[in-house]
Amino acid sequence: MNLLPTDEQVQLVDAAKSFLEGEAPMERLRPQYGQVGNHDGKLWPQLGELGFLGIGVAEEHGGLGLGAAEETLVFREYGRHLVSPGILGLVLAGRLAAGDAALTEKILAGKAKVGLSIRRQGGGWHLLEAKDADYVVSYSEEGSELRAVSDYVEVTDIMCMDSHLLLQRAKLSAAKPLRAVKGPELYHVAIQLLSAYAVGVAEGALRMGVEYAKIREQFGKVIGSFQAIKHKCADMAIWAEVASCQVAFSSVVVADKRADAGFQVRASNLVAIDAALKNGATNIQVHGAIGFTAETEAHVYLKRAHVLDTLSGSLREQRTGMLRDPVPA
Amino acid sequence: MNLDFTAEDDLFREEARDWLQDNVPRTPQPPDGWPQREWELAWQAKQYEGGWAGVSWPKEYGGKGLSLTHQLIWFEEYARAGAPNAQLLFVGCNHAAPTLVAKGTEEQKSFHLPKILKGEVLWCQGFSEPNNGSDLGGLRCRAVIDGDHLVVNGSKIWTSSAHLADWQELLVRTDPDVPKHKGITWTICDMKTPGIELRPINIMTAPGHHHFNQVFYTDVRIPLTNVVGEVNDGWNVAMSTLGFERGTASMSEQIRFGVVLEKLIKLAEERLGPGVLEHDEIGARLAQLRAEWAATRAMTYMVVSKSFKGAPGSESSLLRAFVSQLKQRSRRIAVDILGSDSLELPEHDPWIRPYLRTYSETIAAGTSEIQRNIIGERVLGLPR
Repeated sequence: MNLLPTDEQVQLVDAAKSFLEGEAPMERLRPQYGQVGNHDGKLWPQLGELGFLGIGVAEEHGGLGLGAAEETLVFREYGRHLVSPGILGLVLAGRLAAGDAALTEKILAGKAKVGLSIRRQGGGWHLLEAKDADYVVSYSEEGSELRAVSDYVEVTDIMCMDSHLLLQRAKLSAAKPLRAVKGPELYHVAIQLLSAYAVGVAEGALRMGVEYAKIREQFGKVIGSFQAIKHKCADMAIWAEVASCQVAFSSVVVADKRADAGFQVRASNLVAIDAALKNGATNIQVHGAIGFTAETEAHVYLKRAHVLDTLSGSLREQRTGMLRDPVPA
Repeated sequence: MNLDFTAEDDLFREEARDWLQDNVPRTPQPPDGWPQREWELAWQAKQYEGGWAGVSWPKEYGGKGLSLTHQLIWFEEYARAGAPNAQLLFVGCNHAAPTLVAKGTEEQKSFHLPKILKGEVLWCQGFSEPNNGSDLGGLRCRAVIDGDHLVVNGSKIWTSSAHLADWQELLVRTDPDVPKHKGITWTICDMKTPGIELRPINIMTAPGHHHFNQVFYTDVRIPLTNVVGEVNDGWNVAMSTLGFERGTASMSEQIRFGVVLEKLIKLAEERLGPGVLEHDEIGARLAQLRAEWAATRAMTYMVVSKSFKGAPGSESSLLRAFVSQLKQRSRRIAVDILGSDSLELPEHDPWIRPYLRTYSETIAAGTSEIQRNIIGERVLGLPR
């Protein structure tokens, strides 16, 4: 038993880190307020070239043949950089496409864009990052599907609370999905990676808040020396640590396809979304008025946390599920 | 990253499980006083005789000399078997012993460690003083060197089980003229030494519950050979103990608490009906708590994983600060499930006294506020 990444896993994380620092700087999230849309689609071919889109895809299908543990480590980095959640669409599509060589190749190379669909309360669907996409992925415990974006009809654009993302309402036509799998396995991967992304959001907000607390001065001192601020930062550190440990644990459980994957992944989701929401909010408070503006990215961490919550089927739904499974031995 | 245990680990787990199944005490643990002391010492002795005491302790002092992974497995099986939480023996097993292992002389180790392991002695802790709680480093209980003895005068407070203890780990001021952390000495005090007097202090869990003491020292003579580490280096010695407590020492309790939460879920279903888990605020809280206890287990696994690379650092403060509040939130829910029955305080109640007891969690061994200072300053690098 060892929850620390191996040397190979550390290398993978370092590669992701240096790529994102160069190509996805946080400054890209500081335009004037308004519906901004997703800039990150231009990262997909580069990530494809580096092999990141096929980490969990078997080697015979053109992937790296690794698993959920490695994907988790990389998704944490995506979360820190607030990379478009379209990345999840791509990664899930890569798995769903296995068996269709041409489709797999296109997706693993990042030559396609893949949106995500979420069932709306009262009927219909929400589509996220699907406006300029070729495909859309949906996932649930019953099964997961990859569809052509044209399967969705009566599509209307809606302003998204997280203004860096493209949101739409739509209905689903009777068209058959391109690819479909039954059972919860891919759903567990999706929730695991959303949770890993949420850990990155929690850590990114923590880092941003702590950095600001070290330089911002009031009453002649940096505000991080005041316990009122210091303890808020400590709380952020605690929540991020709780979430990152559980997400690391469940990543191995999912990779090993253990019977308790559902339980462990849900636990990860509950603590990681909770940490992302809390740290997103606390980071804004630590920043004070500037945190309430669109001139820093503090607000984006919070909004992205809400997006992750929704993409996970919401904390409310996950909590109901959490008590359904027996505690694993 | 992996969660695989070796075949040897699995064998160890199986042996532990079998032994625990046959040997876990069936008589209820007395709630306090001398009966509790005798009961806990007997259970410790039984574990020693069975070869299970001190799984990760050095072999030369009676332990098994195994890895922290084995310790973790033992604690998991211990919790699964419903084995009792050793309350009175905590200081000896989890403070005094690791401190002696790290900083004690050969004589101190070979005299004290086997006694602790065999369940022959009970230790208490003399750190806090009436005017020095969170500001532990400013402690004033004075000791002067007289020949080959320390002579102690002063007072300690919040000393759990001093009235039941044989030995005490005692911090004293040996040099008042240097910066406060540099004039402290860590010493072993025999509680039968003349000049020690106790004043019992009842705690809030029930009327008449004698748990704490104020301890008064009048010309108490302690041989210099009882000093652990160097005279005036006691702060560093004490920090090695507290560091351990914040890290792995609480492992067994953290694992055990997951079992408590499952009992709470069952209690909620029994008292409020199965629907409570789906459509009720209680259900939502229980679900979040279940996820958080799962995460606590993962954090414990991470502490063990990090121990392969070195001793636990300040990061273990994150775990402790989280768990102390998690325990409060978990125990609190029993009150909400029980309704007006929560006002009843029968002699052997499984819910209300343990709930009240959790108010000590965020105070003892460094308040939550001190923990957050440590996290802010040592983990995050914020200025003092």
